[in-house]
Amino acid sequence: MSTMQRVGIVDYGMGNLVSVAGAVEYLGYEAVVSHDPRALAETDRLILPGVGAFPDAMRNLHARGLVDALGDLVRRRGTPLLGICLGAQLLARESEEFGRHAGLGWLDATVSRLRPNDPALRVPHVGWNGIRKIRDGVLLKGVPDDALFYYVHSYCIGDAPAGNVLCECDYGARFAAVLESGRVFATQFHPEKSQQHGLTMLRNFLSVH
Amino acid sequence: MLHQRLITVLTFNDGVLFRTKLFAPDYRYTHNFVDAWLVDEIVALDITRPGNGSGTAGHSFAAVIGGIARKCFVPLAAGGGIRTLDDARRFMALGADKVVVNTGAVERPRLIGEIAAPYGSQCVVVSIDARRAGDRYEVYSHNGTCATGRDPADWAEEAVGEGAGEILVTSIERDGSLSGYDLDLCRRVASRVSVPVLIAGGAGAWRHFVDGVVEGGASGVCTSNIYHFTESSIRSAKAFMRKAGLAVRLS
Repeated sequence: MSTMQRVGIVDYGMGNLVSVAGAVEYLGYEAVVSHDPRALAETDRLILPGVGAFPDAMRNLHARGLVDALGDLVRRRGTPLLGICLGAQLLARESEEFGRHAGLGWLDATVSRLRPNDPALRVPHVGWNGIRKIRDGVLLKGVPDDALFYYVHSYCIGDAPAGNVLCECDYGARFAAVLESGRVFATQFHPEKSQQHGLTMLRNFLSVH
Repeated sequence: MLHQRLITVLTFNDGVLFRTKLFAPDYRYTHNFVDAWLVDEIVALDITRPGNGSGTAGHSFAAVIGGIARKCFVPLAAGGGIRTLDDARRFMALGADKVVVNTGAVERPRLIGEIAAPYGSQCVVVSIDARRAGDRYEVYSHNGTCATGRDPADWAEEAVGEGAGEILVTSIERDGSLSGYDLDLCRRVASRVSVPVLIAGGAGAWRHFVDGVVEGGASGVCTSNIYHFTESSIRSAKAFMRKAGLAVRLS
């Protein structure tokens, strides 16, 4: 057997790293929480977590030299990466949160305000909601169709190319819930906060090779 | 479809879990009763009053938050004594997904925006404690001890304007009473804001959860004491809610 797989959790001063690390360790992997590109380079896969505002997040990534470092690891070396919530949105070309801001651009999509067509639907979208499977993908293995996940967001990815969208969520507006583009994966919900089905999805990502 | 949330509120006095009555620590217990797999969300509050604690309450509460964050794969909101962005930062660093602000925001509403700017609105839960006063309600700060002269719905609206992502409304008189939520209070607040409103204070029967959603307009119903008085579990509460036609998560 090889040594325990190391999972790099990108620490860019935003979001809940403790619970992501906790979930990774619960699943039997070593969590390496770091903002140091060299430390992250020595991991087998990466998670870009995130809670917070898009512009602050990009600014922090740039300030730590992580935009280039992650680009090198993911785009050139092919290290699998999972973006969670804000971390998923950062993969897009740009966001309209607090003005127009460029993202990492690894997904050909934009981030826009969640605008449900029903005024009774409150924003932020907070709580347990479902997924609608569009196409099969490695992340969905063992995840039942009626599984619920924990969402908490006011912005979303609504225009991702159909080929990249594994699941949608409908909250008075349809948006991407699970995305896959090569070895880049993303979930709008928080798998680390979604009990057993979230853990299943995380385990699926951690098994990608 | 977005499901209604059944939220467990854990109140800690000097780092020890207590159930409360009329906002005072009432009875010490352990949180083993929390069904870690079926609870939808956890709110952990430090209710240690200044001068009453051992002086290490902050540290013990921090340890509690860190412990819950590592073991529970559901959202965790933490609060109690948050007056500055740094206070909020500390809870977030320990593993909280959201922070709950109350007195700090009443004293200085801009605190809400200061936390929302880096963390996003969805990270800031503004907790409003209120008492009925005739046909009106009044907001109380400092653990329910200081009348503020504010109306809860007005304050909720202002808080959302400052950047609050959720409002948690608690009836002080109903706390620990098991007599049901103050639905009128919840309705008044929920009808004035577009963000989710959570209701707390008074749940004593499964029916009260249904009432909170259907009649109170709450997006989530909170409870802390009820499991202590019943043999039943979160599963049985949720089965009841589903039977009453609500969408709740059972797996």
